[in-house]
Amino acid sequence: MSQGLAGYVIRRLLWTVPVIVAISILVFLLLRLAPQDPIDSLLGQRYDEEIAQRLRAKYGYDRPLHIQYLKYVQNLFQGDLGVSTRHGDFSVAEVIVPKIRVSAGMNVMAMILVFGLGIPVGVYAALVRGSFLDPLIIGFWLLIDSIPVFVSAVVAPWLFALQLGWVDLTYEGVLHPNIILPVFVMSLPGVAGVARLMRASVIQVSNEEYVRTARAKGLRERTVVVSHVVRNALLPMVTAIGLSLPGLFTGSLFVELLFGIPGIARESLQAVLGFDFDVVLGLVLFGSVLFVLANILIDIAYGFIDPRIRITAARGA
Amino acid sequence: MSNRTLGLMMGAVALLIVAVAVVFVLVLSGGDGDDGDDTPARPATESADRDDVGDDRSDQEADDRDDGDRATGGICGENRLVTFGDDPATVFDPIQVGDASTAEYTAEIFGGLVTLNLDLEVVPDIAERWEITDGGRVYTFFLRDDVVFHNGRRVTADDVKYSLERAADPANFSPTVLDYLGDIVGVRDKFNGRADDISGVQVVDEYTLRIELTEPISYFLQQLTYTVAYVVDQEQIEDDPNNWTRRPNGTGPFRVKTFRPLEEIVLIPNDRYHLGPPRVDEVVFSLSGGSLSTRFQNDEIHVALVPAVELAGVLSGESELSEFYRPVPQLSFFYLGFNVNEPPFDDPLVRQAFAHAINREAINEVLFFDAALVADGILPPTLPGYSEAISTYPYDPERAAELLAQSRYADDMPRIVLTFSGGGGDPPDNLQAYQQQWREALGVEVEIEAIEWSAYLRELRRGTFQMYSAGWIADYPDPENFLGKLFSGESRLNHTGYASERVDALLDEAATLGDQEARYRLYHQAEQLIIDDAPIIPTFWTISHYLVRECVQNWVDPGTIVPKYRYIEIDTSGE
Repeated sequence: MSQGLAGYVIRRLLWTVPVIVAISILVFLLLRLAPQDPIDSLLGQRYDEEIAQRLRAKYGYDRPLHIQYLKYVQNLFQGDLGVSTRHGDFSVAEVIVPKIRVSAGMNVMAMILVFGLGIPVGVYAALVRGSFLDPLIIGFWLLIDSIPVFVSAVVAPWLFALQLGWVDLTYEGVLHPNIILPVFVMSLPGVAGVARLMRASVIQVSNEEYVRTARAKGLRERTVVVSHVVRNALLPMVTAIGLSLPGLFTGSLFVELLFGIPGIARESLQAVLGFDFDVVLGLVLFGSVLFVLANILIDIAYGFIDPRIRITAARGA
Repeated sequence: MSNRTLGLMMGAVALLIVAVAVVFVLVLSGGDGDDGDDTPARPATESADRDDVGDDRSDQEADDRDDGDRATGGICGENRLVTFGDDPATVFDPIQVGDASTAEYTAEIFGGLVTLNLDLEVVPDIAERWEITDGGRVYTFFLRDDVVFHNGRRVTADDVKYSLERAADPANFSPTVLDYLGDIVGVRDKFNGRADDISGVQVVDEYTLRIELTEPISYFLQQLTYTVAYVVDQEQIEDDPNNWTRRPNGTGPFRVKTFRPLEEIVLIPNDRYHLGPPRVDEVVFSLSGGSLSTRFQNDEIHVALVPAVELAGVLSGESELSEFYRPVPQLSFFYLGFNVNEPPFDDPLVRQAFAHAINREAINEVLFFDAALVADGILPPTLPGYSEAISTYPYDPERAAELLAQSRYADDMPRIVLTFSGGGGDPPDNLQAYQQQWREALGVEVEIEAIEWSAYLRELRRGTFQMYSAGWIADYPDPENFLGKLFSGESRLNHTGYASERVDALLDEAATLGDQEARYRLYHQAEQLIIDDAPIIPTFWTISHYLVRECVQNWVDPGTIVPKYRYIEIDTSGE
């Protein structure tokens, strides 16, 4: 790694600090400025002013906002994200880590499906360009893409569980076969995008001179396609995969709600509805850090691939 | 593009793929082992082995089990009940429980001096019998000598005293202790930090406990059945003050085998339960998974709820689900409340006119598909002390118009806002129907306003609403829990501002009367007086619409929190 790149990465990493701080202050304030707090949610109909005051004192919600924020940051530096008021003082990490595992597990499977299906479909569509098969294939996947998840998540269980009896709907963990249906429902709409990107990329690469040269050398068509066209056409996929990395740790709300999966999206919704301050903040910070880091990772990967980007960036920054 | 660049590019792709793979491995390696690791509070039972077997059930085992199911005739092939539940809103600490879902689990895991049977009668639990002396002010409980915690430790009067004092300890912030135990001498002093113990709870000997009340309370035993009075294990709590609720050591018919938030709760029998151990091998509360009714049809779950869209078909007997249908009236009701101190509802005639103007029968039939019962009273039909003789204002638009014409606000109706708790979008259909019926019968335009739940509750406490839509679920099965809590001039849950000397006198007298039938008669008088004064319009009693597999025997929902799963048997004969 050149010095320019190292300096660039360090500068980028340093820039994330103010970004994260700004996000945390913003979310912290948004939560605190709402007309109610976790204690209202916790006590509900049994609210009693005296008990509420004691609880607010226990969690520190009775103190000035800036003190609360500084206290939060102080704890954060000790690796303490706070406690969940909804889950009887379970630590935030204890609440969200299992949910992240579930969502990430499903997302990895979905990602493998999306790229595993999308790339070959795109290559095939590009190769049969001009014939009726090209629009047929892409059209089929666009049709799948245009079915909203909240429709397929209702129809699919009816079809595959009740009518065909292939799957069960009870959630038994990420590794259980019952997870297949929700994973398909959340991933199939994404295939069209990858397929079209791959198709366009393959077509573009096919027109390059080195492909013509390869053909002129008398290489077999198979070799030309696999070694010259597809390998080069995969470049945009780096961006696509990189951009979807932070998405690995988010959840699909409709799928998690309709299939009752204990993932991060359902947890986020519950946390927001229950005004679980620390859990909401923890989730937002986690998501922001991931997003920022993923972007840096992509930039670095690009720097590896194309020195021009590296140099421009190093000079520009 | 040079070969070197291409190589680097492929390297970058490989790097990303490896990164994804690493994440994947991390995700899955940590996935299942959690519950066991995180729960050091496991009681050391004689049957601890059994605990371990099921704890970290790997998915492989889950697969095998599924295959077993298929071979032996679906979900009815095993002696385990699979039902649904809600994620507990608090931990399994009896003194923190404030919501129905957590209370349901807590009632199976813990027990108190007394409990409720399926007919909602107070029956002995840890106490074998009791004597009431001093005009109903002193209760002496004689404890059974064979009650043990799940870990085998014997329960004595000291444990009961500890549990009650823990509930009242100001450091524990119990939101329910004053509501249920506040009538015991010394509870308020302890709660307010003025005393170290509860003077009204005395240990007479190892198995005798005396509780003294500030005044005779005839529903005190009913209050003692609520979770806040349950017995907890001092040793466990002191050993592990932060995590004991994850595997609590109670005295109830079931123990916690697994608790995965948003996923499932599995209870297994306490084989030494003093009132007769459960008959099923485990009870699974599924907190996750797809549509309940689809899973029910797919033979994955024993108990489900009828979806609203299918209710009409199920009720008419045309649906294939009809044979599993089990309606259960709940101990709850919905109502429209008025602020009786603010115009125009400070005039009883206006309130009565509003009550006469709504057609609840039509709303139930058309909008609810008969999912509810029109509330012809406040106390629900399954509540002990219910009377059929009570009646509410019937739908009578002409009479409604007449009453309004006689009222103070006949020609000068102020702006009226009806508030309900909800999010965006249209108000619920029934509220829109009331709005229309008031418009038609009275010529009055009522505005409907939504407000978020916590804010709704806060404004309710402050009494700022002019008119509101609300509901009430019984905490213990006694008329006092409805009439005393909502309509007594002194109750902090009386949000209408209604205060009637006659009603208060009746409620006070009923609260302290020993003779149950005479008490109920007083409550009936009070109930009719309240309805006639119309601080509220009772609208509907709720019914839960269950689907229950035929192999589940003794399945009962008494409509409120009662330990009930120990009665259940699964008929595995395949009938």
